Amino acid sequence: MEKLSEVKEGKYKVIDIIKHGKLKKLYNMGIFIGDIIEVIKSSPGPIIIKKGNITIGIGYGIAIDILVEKVD
Amino acid sequence: MEEKIIAIAGNPNTGKTTIFNSLTETRQQVGNWPGVTVEKKEGYYIYKGIKFNLIDLPGTYTLTGESEDQKIAIDFLTQNKVDVLVIVANALQLERSLYFLILLSELQKNIIVDLNMVDLAEGEGIEYDIEHLEKLLKVKFVKTIGNKNIGIEDLKEEIYKKCKEPISEYFKFNYGDEIEKAINESGNIIEKLNPPYPVRFFALKILEKDEYFINYLRDRTDYETINNLILNLEKNYSKPIERVLIEKRYGVIHGVVKEATIEKKKELKLHITEKFDKILTDNFLGPLIFLIIMFIIFNFVFLFGNPFVNFLELILDKLKFVFLSINLPLWLTSLINDGIISGVGSVLLFIPNIFLFFFLFSILEDTGYMARAAIVADRLMHKIGLHGKSAIPMILGFGCNVPAIMGTRILENRRDKILTSFSTPFMSCSARLPVYLLFTGIFFRENQGIIVFSLYLLGIFVGILSIKIFGSIFFKGGSSPLIIELPPFRMPYWKSVLIESWIRTKSFLRKAGTIIFLGTLILWFLSYFPNPNNYGTELNFIGKIGKFISPLFRFSGFDFWQAGIALIFGIYAKELVVGTFGTVFGIENLQDTIRNYFTPISAYSFMIMSLLYMPCLATFLVLKKEIGIRWAFASLFWSLFVGWLFSTIFYQFFSFLKGG
Ligand SMILES: Nc1nc2c(ncn2[C@@H]2O[C@H](COP(=O)(O)OP(=O)(O)OP(=O)(O)O)[C@@H](O)[C@H]2O)c(=O)[nH]1
Ligand SMILES: [Mg+2]
Repeated sequence: MEKLSEVKEGKYKVIDIIKHGKLKKLYNMGIFIGDIIEVIKSSPGPIIIKKGNITIGIGYGIAIDILVEKVD
Repeated sequence: MEEKIIAIAGNPNTGKTTIFNSLTETRQQVGNWPGVTVEKKEGYYIYKGIKFNLIDLPGTYTLTGESEDQKIAIDFLTQNKVDVLVIVANALQLERSLYFLILLSELQKNIIVDLNMVDLAEGEGIEYDIEHLEKLLKVKFVKTIGNKNIGIEDLKEEIYKKCKEPISEYFKFNYGDEIEKAINESGNIIEKLNPPYPVRFFALKILEKDEYFINYLRDRTDYETINNLILNLEKNYSKPIERVLIEKRYGVIHGVVKEATIEKKKELKLHITEKFDKILTDNFLGPLIFLIIMFIIFNFVFLFGNPFVNFLELILDKLKFVFLSINLPLWLTSLINDGIISGVGSVLLFIPNIFLFFFLFSILEDTGYMARAAIVADRLMHKIGLHGKSAIPMILGFGCNVPAIMGTRILENRRDKILTSFSTPFMSCSARLPVYLLFTGIFFRENQGIIVFSLYLLGIFVGILSIKIFGSIFFKGGSSPLIIELPPFRMPYWKSVLIESWIRTKSFLRKAGTIIFLGTLILWFLSYFPNPNNYGTELNFIGKIGKFISPLFRFSGFDFWQAGIALIFGIYAKELVVGTFGTVFGIENLQDTIRNYFTPISAYSFMIMSLLYMPCLATFLVLKKEIGIRWAFASLFWSLFVGWLFSTIFYQFFSFLKGG
């Protein structure tokens, strides 16, 4: 399990979103725990993730609270 | 005539305004990034003898007032009488749109879902069984392609039908026995308060711990009982209840969408968007590309604009000649030729450049680049305590500062909003372009593009500097982190690019016909009296006023009254800086006259001053409205100071270099 802020580009599964306000924000935008996401751009700078037809840019401050796991 | 109120709501960037425009045949601004509409816009259309009043709302993901634009949407939906609510859903992101539908269903209104962007969905091989969706969700679906005007008549018909029928059945989401019980129990308490919202909706908001609704409750009744209910629920689920609610909703939607998706040819798609995104937001390439794009824009504006400008110049000369040759009273000829044609004309001259600028700018907006720019800017903005979203209003400021400052409503916290608004007037708007065009055309003919580009960069630099300084003095703490949706990249729709650039050019033209026109009349008056024979000289009012402030610019290289008066009128509208020169120097040999007064160094110094000093009147007023009178005045004095400081430093430095 790694923080989204630390991972390289690739496919990941969202394991947990720690802070509650952040979880709500992501949920409202359509990203959930358990989802498979693709990291298109990794940090430094904002991380860009993609799930289906939704692409979202996420600042470092939010990404450190998103825990993900690599999938193939 | 019978009237009905129709509200259009939905997630950001789903095409709400596009639909609104098609229905009402108006032209509100659309753009391919989330947060184009930040205030509610109204319009109407007439169909089968009924007047339908339409309200276009800012896009939101949920129904919590996180930022100002979203609050506007929620307040309107919860507090007003709406006959039909049209939810515009993006067919590519149906799940999220249906989630929004579930939230809004609790408002117990007549709802129609406009399934928009079906062209894009089809392109991806996605199609939905509409009847199935309608059955499961108990709501009418209408397919549209907003930007091609397809499905709009169907939509009108369905809205019409919906108005005629009473609120029949609406989709009532079932959260499971335990939660439903809590909803009912808190509902009982809430009902006694007689709130202006549906009770069940209110109860759900309380369970979701929405601050606004909790405060409403706290003010009027004992919140503890309900809070205990919530705590109990959370103990049983062992997670926060709002999370349970969201998960349940999405659980159901997920199933619904799965069932209703008919065919899905999984083709191997070339992931062009991802490739683009990777390059455009690259930490090194991203900023470089941004600068290159800006640089290209300015050169393009000159290269292709100037021939047209020269042509317009000829026409204006001819026009003056015409008025000279017909025998009008002297004062009238002077008013027309020296006042209006020289004043308004010298501004209108640059319409070709301005149009080109807006054209290129609209392409940027339409392709989806704007949201990428926010990503690129994030690191820089972080260093000054803001996040990337602030870059969007600032970039919009290159068009016009007024809508740009209103655009700061997409920012979540007040601090970000104030600092961003405060620095936006330093973004060089299109009204300042004529000043640069005039001076670079005279003194920097060889490298107009680079010189103008450098002024834009200076504006950005001063804006950032101001944020840094004022942010560290007046605010503690940092910004909330960035989170922004990136719309898909695509080729620009030429039609909408043309329309967007035309809308903006038109408002520039309108301004020339009204505000600038009025300004030139005043200018002419001050130039003509009290000594008509000495038009536009220091013997008349205009010179006296100009002389009064010109000593201020002793060390900036332009301490003659003509520059002083130009700057004064520029406060009213920045285009008038050029308009004034047109009036006091006369438009025929404007270039030669200016060459007598300015040197390249003092010309650049003057351009710095024009760029930085004072937001124009309209900008000042919008600043006052958005961030308060104190900040508006702060902006005024600060910008005067930095404008003076930078132009003086520049002039002194380069004069010294040249002299020594
Ligand atoms: N392909 C396609 N594009 C569309 C359709 N409808 C709208 N668009 C484009 O989608 C973009 C967003 O449209 P807007 O009308 O500004 O969206 P909005 O929902 O008002 O956005 P906000 O005000 O930011 O919430 C624009 O570039 C439109 O041209 C459609 O049916 N198909
Ligand atoms: Mg809109």
